[in-house]
Amino acid sequence: MSLSAIVVMLGSIAALWGVAIITLVHSMRQEERKLSLIEVQGGFEPFSPRAVTDIKNWLASHPDDVRALEMRELLHQQQHALQQNAQTFYGWPNHRRR
Amino acid sequence: MTTTTSISREQWGSRFGYLMAVVGAMVGAGNIWRMPYVTGENGGGAFLIAYFTLLYLIAVPGLMAETSLGRYTRQGLLGTFRNIYGDSRWVGLGLVILVFNIILMSYYSSIVGWSIYYAYHSLIGTFTQPGFDTAVLWETFSNNTALNVGMHTLAMLMVTVILLAGIKGGIERLAKWMMPILTIALIAIAIRGLTLPGAIAGLEFSFSPNWEYLARGETWLAALGQALFSTGLGWGIALTYGSYLGRNDDIPLGGGLFTAIGNTSFGLLAIFAVFPIVFAFGISPTSGAELAFVALASAFGKMSAGYAWALLFFGGFFFANLTTAMAITEVGVTTFKEERNISRSKSVLIICTIIWLLGIPSAMNTSILGYLDFVVGNWGLPLATFIIMITIGWKFDAKRLRLVSLNRGADAYVPSAWESIVRYQIPMIMLGIMTYFLYSNLSATPWKTVSGLLILTLMIPLCMWIMRERPSRSLTFSETGETPS
Repeated sequence: MSLSAIVVMLGSIAALWGVAIITLVHSMRQEERKLSLIEVQGGFEPFSPRAVTDIKNWLASHPDDVRALEMRELLHQQQHALQQNAQTFYGWPNHRRR
Repeated sequence: MTTTTSISREQWGSRFGYLMAVVGAMVGAGNIWRMPYVTGENGGGAFLIAYFTLLYLIAVPGLMAETSLGRYTRQGLLGTFRNIYGDSRWVGLGLVILVFNIILMSYYSSIVGWSIYYAYHSLIGTFTQPGFDTAVLWETFSNNTALNVGMHTLAMLMVTVILLAGIKGGIERLAKWMMPILTIALIAIAIRGLTLPGAIAGLEFSFSPNWEYLARGETWLAALGQALFSTGLGWGIALTYGSYLGRNDDIPLGGGLFTAIGNTSFGLLAIFAVFPIVFAFGISPTSGAELAFVALASAFGKMSAGYAWALLFFGGFFFANLTTAMAITEVGVTTFKEERNISRSKSVLIICTIIWLLGIPSAMNTSILGYLDFVVGNWGLPLATFIIMITIGWKFDAKRLRLVSLNRGADAYVPSAWESIVRYQIPMIMLGIMTYFLYSNLSATPWKTVSGLLILTLMIPLCMWIMRERPSRSLTFSETGETPS
């Protein structure tokens, strides 16, 4: 088998099987974390810090949009979850652990 | 006016179950009998580079979009379109996709029937009998109309029984077993194949890069076709399966990346499992039914312990086809249940009966199957993908979907670059594909091309007319909670 074919074969294995296995394992571990948070404290915050920043930026530029209510409600859910829960799912630098 | 009633919506029982079900939905006959040959014929490694590029750039973001829309609306195809377009004729665009799905399943069930027949023959050891000729078996089977209708009926019966057990008890339960078994079967066959003398030539055929092919338009089109059709993007399957996800379940990694890459991983596994055997036995590389049912069946008969290898291959092939058939049918089942506000059992029975009846002509005559595959594959499915992506990107608004649904509960953050892929890249590529297919088929098969296009052209206004101001009987949900609107 030629060297170029071997390189392509190994690259394909890494790009497909490697990525698929890493994604599957990571996804299952994250799911376990979510389940344990639900078990311990009944829930967790739905959005990551970057996702929350996106929603806030959108609201800042579309304060009167028809969808603003939906976005505000999501932010409210997020804030409520952060206040209620001692442990967070995403990394929040200033979150207070109870 | 929207009539609202309460819906108790089932959910996937586990993350693993959802991932296996969605990958099982996408892994079908094409991964096993098409990808190895297409790879080898289009420059090997050069094709794979083009394919991976398109997979990551288009299929992964597209699947994220479709799944997150389903999770947002928590409804089937028509409910989702009604949620977006209101009670207007534009809901008919959703009906167009649903019709393509039902037509697709009507002839795909014949292919499931073929795999049942061959799995049965592998079980009773037909392929390892002395002097057995696989070409004769395939020809005899193909010419036996009653047997083909019987296999189509059996396939639809199996799908019906599984779907009657529900999302969690039927689809998820089976996928959790079938997909790992398929993986083990293909790995075992690959190991056996690679130990055969002359097997390495098969890998050389598939992986040896011919860089000139990267500059050829045909290579990129073949890669695009494989990346889009193999992942089932835009057919409503990801949307329907996504509608059974929980509010805070991850989508970018599971519904997007793992679905697309996991599905293609089976194609790569098929390259290792199929072509070493084909080359070891000096069989001319090919694709489709001829590869699986004639060439490979013949090779298994000549291998030591051929009974076990044939059983593993055809059993796995049957599982791959069955999990896909369940998913295609589920699109219609979920939608019909919600639209008519009937029980799931009734919806399963009605949809499966309709598909069974529509599938009889394809089971009786392979020319009809070929014609439907030509129309649906060349234009129907690209059109369906185009409709879904335009709906998400422009009508619903890709930015809104990313903010309220895609990044909710996500294991990986999706940046704003994703929005332009859904808005511009995928729809333009779909239009390009349809134009290219029209251009390349018009001179070779003018009657098929013109008639197929005519049917499609009429389908859109007809579906829009059927759905004009037709009220829904189902609930609509918002991402902030399950509020009827």
